[in-house]
Amino acid sequence: MIEIKYFGAVAEKTNCEFEKISFSEVSLQKLLQDLNEKYKLESLTFSVAVNQKIVSKTADFTLQTTDVVALLPPFAGG
Amino acid sequence: MKESSKYNRQIILPEIGEEGQYKLSKAKVLVVGAGGLGAAIMPYLAGAGVGEIGIVDDDVIEISNLHRQVIYKSSAVGKSKAEEAKLMISELNPNIKVNAFPEKLSGKNALSLFEKYDIIVDATDNISIKYLINDACLIADKPMVYGSIFRFQGQVSVFNYQNGPTYRCLYPDENSNALNCEDAGVIGVSVGIIGMFQANEVIKIILGIGTVLSGKILVYNILNNEQQKYDFDKSYIEHINSAVFEEKYNKSEVEEINFKSILNEINSDKVLFLDVRNEDELPKISLKNQIQIPLKNLENEIEKLNKNQAVYVFCQSGIRSKIALELLQRHQFKDVKSIFGGVLAMKQLLKEEIKV
Repeated sequence: MIEIKYFGAVAEKTNCEFEKISFSEVSLQKLLQDLNEKYKLESLTFSVAVNQKIVSKTADFTLQTTDVVALLPPFAGG
Repeated sequence: MKESSKYNRQIILPEIGEEGQYKLSKAKVLVVGAGGLGAAIMPYLAGAGVGEIGIVDDDVIEISNLHRQVIYKSSAVGKSKAEEAKLMISELNPNIKVNAFPEKLSGKNALSLFEKYDIIVDATDNISIKYLINDACLIADKPMVYGSIFRFQGQVSVFNYQNGPTYRCLYPDENSNALNCEDAGVIGVSVGIIGMFQANEVIKIILGIGTVLSGKILVYNILNNEQQKYDFDKSYIEHINSAVFEEKYNKSEVEEINFKSILNEINSDKVLFLDVRNEDELPKISLKNQIQIPLKNLENEIEKLNKNQAVYVFCQSGIRSKIALELLQRHQFKDVKSIFGGVLAMKQLLKEEIKV
């Protein structure tokens, strides 16, 4: 199970702050593509963290089942 | 009142002492934005005895600000935020110097303002200003203490601290459309909490104590009190130097061009002439690569145009074409110019090709 955390405007689209998705092995790019299709995230800007570390969204990266992914959009309020 | 007794309760902290208090008294901090975050940050910096505080904000106080910008009195509605904030924190601590800049931060004033301060605090509510602050901090070599809010969540980080990662390393995509408080809604305590985290980072930087949030972003959710920290590295996606800064922020706002200077391009395949007049407007004009989209339809039909192609926009006299140019620039068109004087000026030069 890969845990995914959503923040800010991304969480408003996904309608949840986190979810667990079962995958045996999946690349980060494939996961992001699936999430994009599921939640229509194209209009949003966000950075992606894996295990509390921001990584490039295009990184060639295989996720392990214990990984925690986070989608972090910029905030603008002040 | 003696200075040392005023600050006694913090001076007796071993991490501060007389030496730390001296550092605070010598520090100069610029707060950009005197809204919800700024209203939380400024009194605590003033109270701690930060020697000089600058406040940049061109807004006036509105009644809908008071629930979260709690340093302002109801009677101050309509007055300048920068001036009112100065008044409030000067009363709180008359021993410090406070400078109000009731102006909008822009490419024109950012560098000269930043030069005079040690630390720049981003308390703004607008993404494009955050990039401007980031870029100006890079050039002026100042740390940027960042905070921002989305509803019940907040982010805090310190950029460009001792050559550390910047806002662009965290968010390289500048064309984002995050909502501000006005659009998304906000409650006073969330800006208060995040502003307090920012004030804390400022004081830590001045004193050289603790671990500064450099290369880390703190995300706080006030509804469930969950707090996460994410690490990020310095990346060199876009190098910002003075020339890039000038080009980005200080080029003339509307780019006009004389038709005469592009006469040799009227048969080129590389450029597109965009007529934003209505279809029934005369005189007609026909150039090789030409398209007509009336200004009122432009936004809806924008996909007919190629963002990467050079576009020369014209109308009857050169007024609507400037509006069209701004619209295209907002849609990330890179190379757009408005033809000065419109068709009336073009006609003078192109008499033989005009079909009236």
